[in-house]
Parts: sequence; structure tokens; C-alpha cells
Amino acid sequence: MNEKRRGKLEIIADILRSMQKKEGKIKPTHLLYKSNLSHAKLKEYLTMLLEKGMIEEKLVKGRKMYFIKEQGYKFLLEFERIKEFSESFGL
Amino acid sequence: MVFENVPYELTSYLFGPKWFYGFDSIIELIAIVISVLLVYYSYKCFKLTKEDKYLYFSTAFLLITLAFIAKIAGTLAIYKPRIARTQLGSSIHQAFAGLSPYDINAVAWIIYFCLMLLGFMILFLIVSRLTWKNQRVIALLFYFVFLAAWISIIHYQLFYITSFALLALITYSYYQNYKEIRNEKARFVAIAFGMLLISQVFFVFVIYLRVLYVLAELLQLLGFVYLLIPFMLIFRKKPKLQNE
Repeated sequence: MNEKRRGKLEIIADILRSMQKKEGKIKPTHLLYKSNLSHAKLKEYLTMLLEKGMIEEKLVKGRKMYFIKEQGYKFLLEFERIKEFSESFGL
Repeated sequence: MVFENVPYELTSYLFGPKWFYGFDSIIELIAIVISVLLVYYSYKCFKLTKEDKYLYFSTAFLLITLAFIAKIAGTLAIYKPRIARTQLGSSIHQAFAGLSPYDINAVAWIIYFCLMLLGFMILFLIVSRLTWKNQRVIALLFYFVFLAAWISIIHYQLFYITSFALLALITYSYYQNYKEIRNEKARFVAIAFGMLLISQVFFVFVIYLRVLYVLAELLQLLGFVYLLIPFMLIFRKKPKLQNE
């Protein structure tokens, strides 16, 4: 999973982790920098995460912010478990 | 105890001292439960990630599970009189009506040999990072595994020697994995396979000293328990609802 190229799940986990590290909320510009993705690709992923209910978009003081939701935390936990399972069992 | 020249020249097996009859099946039942957990979770990982390595891992432990089921069926078929009279024992006999307990035992052991070696072979392929692209190597491995399983019908020791060889390579890979990532869970996995490896040595010599079968089974049990520990440690993790 942690090979040269990041997989789809790893990118999603990276986006959610960026939000988690910022107390569950992040600005789009910050996310673009943290996720290491192109603007178009990031937008694609954010749309998908919004549709799946893992994150939500809110306006804070007139500025767009992304918030991680419970589904997002659950995904991160499951992702970490799979990663640990994979590492421990040499997969 | 080895029962020679059962019909079709199949050999049926019943190792271990009399007082241990049935306990080995309990140990294998525990191994089955742990294997099923690994099958279930690795298959779940496959469904989520669509990565083949999880499917192979799941298949390997499914084969190991089925191998143990075959061994239990074969052993229970021959344990007399206590276990054969139990509901499970009599249902095994009914299911294979027309076959003697010794036939059932012999067939069950053949299935056990084949499935267990296949399971270990797949584990070896996974830890060796061999993919289906290495078709020739995999075909050769399949050939040797089937050859070993076939000859094991006559000389059971070959089965345990082959298992030992495969487990030695698997254990070495897991030890390397532990050295690389220095992770507590990876250490447990390496120890688990190390114990399974040592148990094979005892199994080879059970025919000379029955008590070795008890030691081998206990080591096998410990090996599976050590496989369960990292699994439980992973699931002990609770969801974080705030930042790290």
C-alpha cells in the first residue's frame, strides 16, 4: 500500500488525516498544499468524500472550510487497521 | 499409531498417547477459529482495497482451515469408543456410510496433506512477493507440493518435512519483515510462524515417541495463539474523534 504511487484509498486517507490533524477542519488552500494533488484532482476527491458523507463543507466567517465527519473518522480507523494488518502480516 | 495396508493401500494415522485422544482435535478447533478470523478479515480487506494480496492471504488461511477440518474428521472417525459414540462422531460415520473409520481417516489425512501444503505454499508466495507473473516458478512449486503430498500418503514424514521447509522460508521472511519495520505485531507474527516451524520437527518424529505429538500440538496451539495476538492488538485501537 505504501509503494511509490499512492492508491486511491491512500489519497483519501491523506486528505482525511490532514483534516484530523487540524482539529477536524481545514481550509481548501491548506488542503491543496497538504494533499499533494492537482486542483482538479483534489476537487474530484472532495466531491466524492462529500457524497459519501465523510466530510462536510461549511462557511466560517465567509470562508469555505472542510470538516471531517464521523464517517471520515471511521474510514481512517479502518484504513489504519488494514495498514497495520498488512505490515504485521508482511502483505 | 500407523495403521498399514488399509483398503486401497491407504494408510490411516492416529498419533499421540491414548490419554491425549481428542485433545488434539480441540487444539485444532482453536486453530480453526483463529484461521477463520484471518480469512474473514483479509477477505474484508480485499473487498475494501481490491488488492489481490489480501485475497491470496485469505485463500491460504481458508485452505489451512479446511485442512484442519479434514484432520479433525479423520481423527474423530477413528477415536474409539468414546468420541465415535458422540453426536459428532456418529454423524461423521453416517456421512460416510460404507466406509470404515480407517478409510475415512486415510482419506481425511490425504486431504489434510494437500490442503495444508497448498496453504503454506500460498503463504510462501505472498511473503516472497511472487505474483502470477512468475508463472513458471509457481507451476514448479505446485508440482513439488503435489509430489510431496502424494508421497506423504506413504511416508507421512515427508509432509512434515515439506511443511518445515515452507515454514522455514516463511518464518525467515517474517523475521526480515520484523527487522525492517521493528513493530511489536510483526514480532508476534514471526514468533508464531517460528513456533509452527518447530512443531513440524516434533511431528516428524512422533512415530518413535508418542509424547512428541503432544509437544508438537501444544507448540502448534501456541503458534496460532501468537497469530491471534497481533490481530487483537490491531482491533484494540479505538476511533479518534479529535485530532491526534
